[in-house]
Amino acid sequence: MTSLALACVLMSVGLYGLLTRRDIIAVLASIEVMLGGAQLLLAAYSASVTLASPAQGVTLIVLATIAAEAAVGLALLVALVHRGRTRTDQIEEVRG
Amino acid sequence: MSVTLLWWALAALTVAGAVAVIATREMMRMLLGLGAFLLGLAGFYAWYGFELLAVAELFVYVGGVLVLFLFAITSMGRDREGRSMERRLDLGALGISAGMGLVLLVALQSTLPAAPTAVGASVEDTAAALLGPLLPYFELAGVVLLVALVAALAIIGREDAR
Amino acid sequence: MNVLREMAYLVVGVPLLIAVVLGLGVRVWGRAAAWIALLGPLLAVAVGASSLEGGASGSVRWLAAGDSVLTLGYHVDGLSAIMLLVVGVVAACVIVFSIGYMHGDRGYVRYFAILSLFTAAMSGLVIAGDLVGLFIGWELVGACSFLLIGFWYEKPAAAEAARKAFMVTRVGDAAMLVGLAVLWRATGTLELSAILGSVGSLAPAVVTTAAVCLLLGAVGKSAQFPLHIWLPDAMEGPTPVSALIHAATMVAAGVFLVARTWPLFEASPEARMVALVLGTITALGAATIALQQTDIKKVLAYSTISQLGFMFAALGVGAWPVAIFHLVTHAAFKALLFLTSGSVIHGSGTQDLREMGGLRSKMPLTAVAWIIGGLALAGIPPLAGFFSKDEVVGSVLAAAPWAGVALLAASLLTGAYVARATRLAFFGPVRGTGEAHESPWTMTVPMAVLAVAAIGLGFAGPSIAAVLGAESEPLSLGLAALAVGLAGAGALGGWLLAAGGGAYENGFPPALTRVWGAARDGYGFDALVNGAIVRPMAALARFTDSVVDRQGIDRVAEGFAGLARGVGEMFARTMTGDGQTYSALLAAGAIILLCITMWLVR
Repeated sequence: MTSLALACVLMSVGLYGLLTRRDIIAVLASIEVMLGGAQLLLAAYSASVTLASPAQGVTLIVLATIAAEAAVGLALLVALVHRGRTRTDQIEEVRG
Repeated sequence: MSVTLLWWALAALTVAGAVAVIATREMMRMLLGLGAFLLGLAGFYAWYGFELLAVAELFVYVGGVLVLFLFAITSMGRDREGRSMERRLDLGALGISAGMGLVLLVALQSTLPAAPTAVGASVEDTAAALLGPLLPYFELAGVVLLVALVAALAIIGREDAR
Repeated sequence: MNVLREMAYLVVGVPLLIAVVLGLGVRVWGRAAAWIALLGPLLAVAVGASSLEGGASGSVRWLAAGDSVLTLGYHVDGLSAIMLLVVGVVAACVIVFSIGYMHGDRGYVRYFAILSLFTAAMSGLVIAGDLVGLFIGWELVGACSFLLIGFWYEKPAAAEAARKAFMVTRVGDAAMLVGLAVLWRATGTLELSAILGSVGSLAPAVVTTAAVCLLLGAVGKSAQFPLHIWLPDAMEGPTPVSALIHAATMVAAGVFLVARTWPLFEASPEARMVALVLGTITALGAATIALQQTDIKKVLAYSTISQLGFMFAALGVGAWPVAIFHLVTHAAFKALLFLTSGSVIHGSGTQDLREMGGLRSKMPLTAVAWIIGGLALAGIPPLAGFFSKDEVVGSVLAAAPWAGVALLAASLLTGAYVARATRLAFFGPVRGTGEAHESPWTMTVPMAVLAVAAIGLGFAGPSIAAVLGAESEPLSLGLAALAVGLAGAGALGGWLLAAGGGAYENGFPPALTRVWGAARDGYGFDALVNGAIVRPMAALARFTDSVVDRQGIDRVAEGFAGLARGVGEMFARTMTGDGQTYSALLAAGAIILLCITMWLVR
């Protein structure tokens, strides 16, 4: 229960940063925080089930996937910075 | 008692790092905060007895992702801009974040035991699981990593190809 | 012969098929169209001739709802056979005549296609074994009439006349439909034999209502007062069409309907009285109008209306076989007169009697045919009209003397307008351009055929009566002499009236001129209908369009569209392009969904 609370707090913090920060790097870092909180939740859950080893395996796989996401996000960042845009309000492609 | 104390210390570290990420105005401090957060996560994994996971976290995140952030920032010269990042207090976002956290808490409250328990899993069992029932997902994860590699190169484009 | 009798429905099927074939290949068929179309009427003649002693019947189930069933079938009896012969012979003559008359017309094939359709519809009408089939044929002949009156549709007068005809007969048709509904409600079926057999068991009010409603339909179709205004305008159509539809067949359908449903009328003296009154008024009134017309076709149109009035009067006193006899002879001589007038128009180039004169020498065959038809119409023995009109007047006089006297007066006027028209067109000095010529054989041969019929049909009276299952009364010599004398006196008067070359002012004292002027315009009835019905309706239509439709309904419809657009724009404002806004919305949505899910599984 406490671990759940901690994980939820971390996710909330990360979400706040995602919604609020103006610089793209900060947004990416906040995403990392949020996803880290999710991983913690997963790990804590794994600790309460009978068969823990598959659970650890699952968390491992999730970890790898999220690391891949971080890499792609940074690549996007580099591409954007090269075009001179470093703030979130400069990205307007998906505008309705 | 000490176990719980250790757990709370780890919690403090992790939360402090997270808050630093979202709140600080300086790039390097944000990275430090991110580093603290990731270290705290690794500590938690270790506390739970997931040794493989803790080590993997250290290698991949602290050693990989964090360094990647650092490279990205320094190679683009962003660290020299001083107090460059703004922050603002957004009540709507606050409400949404708090709401999300609360909802998740309430939804999942019955799935976890009241107190954190350390169960742990051995490396051999995990390996057996990864190459056994979890094999498809393991392989899929490998594919995802490959795709991400190619995607990152494609996104950056030819100017940066060395 | 037996085969034809058994497959009587072919009289509908074959012309219908011909109509479709001709209609689909309007550009393909050329001069052959007429000869192909001739097959329909010839088939009708054959079937009719073979069914005089009694024909075939058959029916199919068409619609069923629970216990009530609508059947569609044919039942050929003596009356149907006689009508088939009339339709077939006249239609055949008209088709051959049209080869010459419509030569070179742009719509040559279309013309024969519609004529074929008409033949199918009229045949269907007369062999129908139930009111459903009859009504279908009824409406179809109305539609064909519309198409043929407005055949030269680029001419605004023709298009308007077609519309007028359709609208006015529609009034009658609506009443007829009500009659059908009444009968359906009362007897549960629309089969004629069933209905007519059960008339005795129906309440008198029901019988009268149904009979009067059907009579109103007949009044519309046969152009009786007050639904007569369409027939003179219908003369805008080609003259052979006028001969076939508006003289011999379609307008006779009204008389046929009453004869067909006779038991209803036998049981309802009120309906018969209505028929008698309307018929008599029409007979006399139309005759006075015919006397003043300058267009040769309009003379014949009003004459047709008047003669149909004679038939309705006969129906009104209960002598329906006599009415049918007059229908047959009238078909012969009126079609003859119309075709002859068509020959005159074709040969002399004008329809106005004031521009004709002395055509006797230029078009001798036509003149002879016209005179034969005119004598038949006036009722001069031994031509056909004498016998049938005599029986009509005799029956009416015996049953309702006041009506009989009116009909005798109408006979006098009939002689008058016939003589006037004859003298104006064929005798006297040449007032026109003088370039008239006789018509080709395709036009003179049908005229000859009909002339023979006009001469000989009078003697067929007893046979017709026998086929219809009635007895024929012997001729009353006194009445005959009176009738002939009146007709002759009228003819003399009409002859003198034509002395002035047809100009209105000639030879009349001033007071009479005004009266005759009113007669010429149909006593202002058209203007009355126009002012009282047409203009208010048009105003209502304009009001509905501008107010109800444009401002009311369109605003509501556009309002809905505007509302949708507004709501859409409102939501579109959330698409800011800012990724963090989207994330916030995503998260909020996720929260809401989670709450809902939790609430549902509580």
